[in-house]
Amino acid sequence: MLFVADSPATPEELAQAIGVPTYEVEEGLEKLGGRYIHTSALQLVRIAGGYQICTKPEYAEIVTRFLRPQQQKLSRSLMEVLAVIAYKQPITIAEVDEVRGVESSYGVRQLVERRLACEVGRRSTPGRPVLYGTTQQFLHTFNLQSLDDLPRIMGDADIAEMVGQGVPPEQPALPEFSNPSLL
Amino acid sequence: MAVALPRRRDDQIGPLGVLDPPDIQIECAAFTGSLGMLFVCVRERKIDLLDVPLAPICEAYFQYVIGSAADDLESSAVALTALAYLLERKAWVLIPAPEVDEPEADDLFDQVEPYVHEFVPIIEDLLTRREERESLFFRAADPVLPYEVPFDTGDVTPNDLARAFERILSRAKPDTVEPLSRPRRSLSDQMILVLKALPSEFQSLEEIVVGEFTRSEVVWWFLALLELIRLGQASVRLEEGEVQFAKKAQEAAS
Repeated sequence: MLFVADSPATPEELAQAIGVPTYEVEEGLEKLGGRYIHTSALQLVRIAGGYQICTKPEYAEIVTRFLRPQQQKLSRSLMEVLAVIAYKQPITIAEVDEVRGVESSYGVRQLVERRLACEVGRRSTPGRPVLYGTTQQFLHTFNLQSLDDLPRIMGDADIAEMVGQGVPPEQPALPEFSNPSLL
Repeated sequence: MAVALPRRRDDQIGPLGVLDPPDIQIECAAFTGSLGMLFVCVRERKIDLLDVPLAPICEAYFQYVIGSAADDLESSAVALTALAYLLERKAWVLIPAPEVDEPEADDLFDQVEPYVHEFVPIIEDLLTRREERESLFFRAADPVLPYEVPFDTGDVTPNDLARAFERILSRAKPDTVEPLSRPRRSLSDQMILVLKALPSEFQSLEEIVVGEFTRSEVVWWFLALLELIRLGQASVRLEEGEVQFAKKAQEAAS
């Protein structure tokens, strides 16, 4: 089933198809992954919320020569829009504009066309603006198992903590001047 | 989409900074509210103007302008200005943006111009992950195109169909203009209607479509027929240079 699947398959989906409990599928997946490690040019990976078979990275050069894949260009601004959507989803275009300080509607449309972002609903505010979020394709393209794999964004508290690192907790006391007139 | 005509009211300064536009109420999938609110939302980019059909709003505007031009020239001028504003905004959105030759994402950190500084490490992480991902090759992840059901039109060529369409179209009356109250129509509904009307024996389009009909009704009929042929629910044949249609045999039996 993993061989014929053209998208990641979850243990639940596999268990339902085979008719066995999910834990048995998970055990089987673990064994299969272990077997592939030393005996195959393939590997079993967890990606985009499921399991999928792919080629090992060490064969990437050969496969690239064979397939000649076309690299999808992602510009600086598109990456920025994508990062904002990934972290702030569900988010409207106006809110993306607000975070970035520049108009982002073109970027959002490009990401939707590339299936990295999609419409996930509408906010119940005047005008019912469209809310955008990331897609399974986004997880797949960026080798993520889920959105939880995204690195934590550095907030004000983290910055304050970093600034505080390496600084002695207490400043040494200033020498006391015996003669106040020198001051 | 529903558009309610404006109610006359006293002029006041509105969201455009000039006189308030007419109080036209708009209801569509993308937006529900007054015209003034639409302007505000468009200006603040809270909605995508591409999702808001402007034609019905324009028609409501024109009705307003025609109705009020004689006694309220200033309000009519505001209405037209507002209309032009919306149309211009939508026109700009519709014009394809030129592909700016932006630097590749790999060069991102050589030319840092981040609008959102806290996202720079995130972008870096995403790029690293993408690079790792590019060394993995999966089976085709692109969705497979849906299987097209083969259909048979025998000797009938697209030109024959076009001629049959032209012939019946020439007999059609022009549509009456009912832009604001026209009910929404779907091709599926039309296909059901056409399927019911299709005879078991082959007949020409002129024989099948009885009574008076408008040009748009002919177009709907013809599109529904083409779709039924494609789905194998209608048959078509060429008889003495005339295209004839009939319900598919098994359909008729069932």
